[in-house]
Amino acid sequence: MRNFHCKWVWMPVLALLLFFIGGLSVSAQTGDLIHDEAGLLSGEETQELEALAEQYGAEQNVDFLFLTTDNTEGQSIEGYMGDFFDDRADSTGREDAVLLTIDIGGREVYLAGFGTAERTLDSERVDLVLDQIIPEMQSGDYADAFEETVVTSSEYMEYRPGVNPESIFLKTWFHLAIALLLAGIIVGSMLYNAGGRVTTTPGTYVDRDHTRVRSQDDRFRNKTVTRSKIPKNKDGGGFGGGGGMTGGGRSFSGGGRSF
Amino acid sequence: MAFDSDSGHLSCPSCGHEENIETFPEQNIERKFGEGEAKEYHCENCGAIILTEAETTATHCSFCGAPVVLADRLTGDLAPAKVIPFTVSKDEAVAAFKKWTRGGRLTPRGFMSGDRIKKMTGMYVPFWLYDIEGEAHIQAIGTQVRTYQSGDTIYTETNFYDVFREIDLSYLKVPADASEKMDDVLMDKLEPYDYSELKDFRMPYLAGYLAEKYDFDDEQLFSRVESKIVPYIDAYISTTISGYSSVSYTNKQIDAQKKKVYYTLFPVWMVYYDFDNKEHTFAMNGQTGKVVGKPPISAGKVALWFTGIAVSSFAVMKAIAFAVGGVLW
Repeated sequence: MRNFHCKWVWMPVLALLLFFIGGLSVSAQTGDLIHDEAGLLSGEETQELEALAEQYGAEQNVDFLFLTTDNTEGQSIEGYMGDFFDDRADSTGREDAVLLTIDIGGREVYLAGFGTAERTLDSERVDLVLDQIIPEMQSGDYADAFEETVVTSSEYMEYRPGVNPESIFLKTWFHLAIALLLAGIIVGSMLYNAGGRVTTTPGTYVDRDHTRVRSQDDRFRNKTVTRSKIPKNKDGGGFGGGGGMTGGGRSFSGGGRSF
Repeated sequence: MAFDSDSGHLSCPSCGHEENIETFPEQNIERKFGEGEAKEYHCENCGAIILTEAETTATHCSFCGAPVVLADRLTGDLAPAKVIPFTVSKDEAVAAFKKWTRGGRLTPRGFMSGDRIKKMTGMYVPFWLYDIEGEAHIQAIGTQVRTYQSGDTIYTETNFYDVFREIDLSYLKVPADASEKMDDVLMDKLEPYDYSELKDFRMPYLAGYLAEKYDFDDEQLFSRVESKIVPYIDAYISTTISGYSSVSYTNKQIDAQKKKVYYTLFPVWMVYYDFDNKEHTFAMNGQTGKVVGKPPISAGKVALWFTGIAVSSFAVMKAIAFAVGGVLW
């Protein structure tokens, strides 16, 4: 009886606590991460992406924003997304964000990192993310492109700033392959040498006084020259690499592509 | 009297009397049988008949254990020119072998104690040493590659050169074992011997050891010695052509002739070792103590070493990746 009573006393406190936690996260992410002004997503997709962006955003402590438009009002896509972000940051006070902008009118895409994301998702990493989403952009899977952006950026942001997260030296399969190769070579040579090693060398029996080059001649014969063009930048063409500054004075890392 | 590897003299095990082999009078070595006579030998110590294989030139009497040198098998065409005497005594050979078994990282635990030596035989193995003289005529095409960039074009410029070389070759005392019984690979691995201790052959060096006469003469073995030095010659040739990014030979003509041959006896300890109901044979260089031969391999240890190295190098790489990238997976 007493136990029962105790439980009832605690219930309101628990409810209050839950409300507080929930309230906090609600006020942090107010459900305005997806701004699909061009109408590229279905309602269901918007909800799913919103949830995804919220989840990953909480982990990385940034807002993953998605902005689509069919008209940049005469501005460049960088200027348009800069104005958008200035407005949003001024009104919400949230400065750390990753913003994917699609201008379906100009068929351009721009990915930018603001605040802490300017460092954790620097322009090189932006370029890597763009490499991965361009195929989806070209086939019109804009929801997938944003999902890919969120997941891949989060992954990259785990790495120390300045490190190339796609470097082969950081890949587990590479570590595994080298480890197995190394073990194979070392144990193989141990097995091979178990019966005793050959320790004679080409110099062991040579008579240095009488082994010599009697005559030699090196005559130039002909030469060939082959030319190859340095490959141009990736398909679709990139622009705005390295980031920049918004009209409101916020600096960002970023890069864009046509698709 | 028998050969003593420590002093390099003949010494009597009973009274300790020593004789210098280099000055030992030739007439003291008894030649009981001339060539073509009946091949029956008697022990000078106990008179028993000694039975040997046809190649044996030095052995022990199977009755009293006294050392016997079959002098007629070491004269005329069969007389060795040079010999490297044993410098590793039997006790030292046993110790060196035991030490070697302990160093086997892939051998089973029981093998590593090295205490199951069944038999150790000190043996003078017949070798031919060849002094080889020759010349090589080389024609090759060498390339030098240079790349440079101008505007948005990369130029790769390749210069071709005709390369000629005339080379005098000389190799001294390249050995090849002349005994059919001995495994060639095993004998090759015993090399090199220190030729500064190469002595003119005197029969008393053989006292107390087994010795054999050659099965193959110097003509028969020359092709083997040729195949041995061709890689050496190739290596030398490539050192004479430098400064190119690639060299392809269009003509490589190597003539090598033997200038001189020496019939020589090299000291080898044969070690017969029982392990796991199997006899393993090892050979030890009787001058340097180098051991060769296929030891038993423990599959468990091979697996252990493999996983050990793989896991630890994987861990090291992961640690470095973590330190650099800040991400473990």
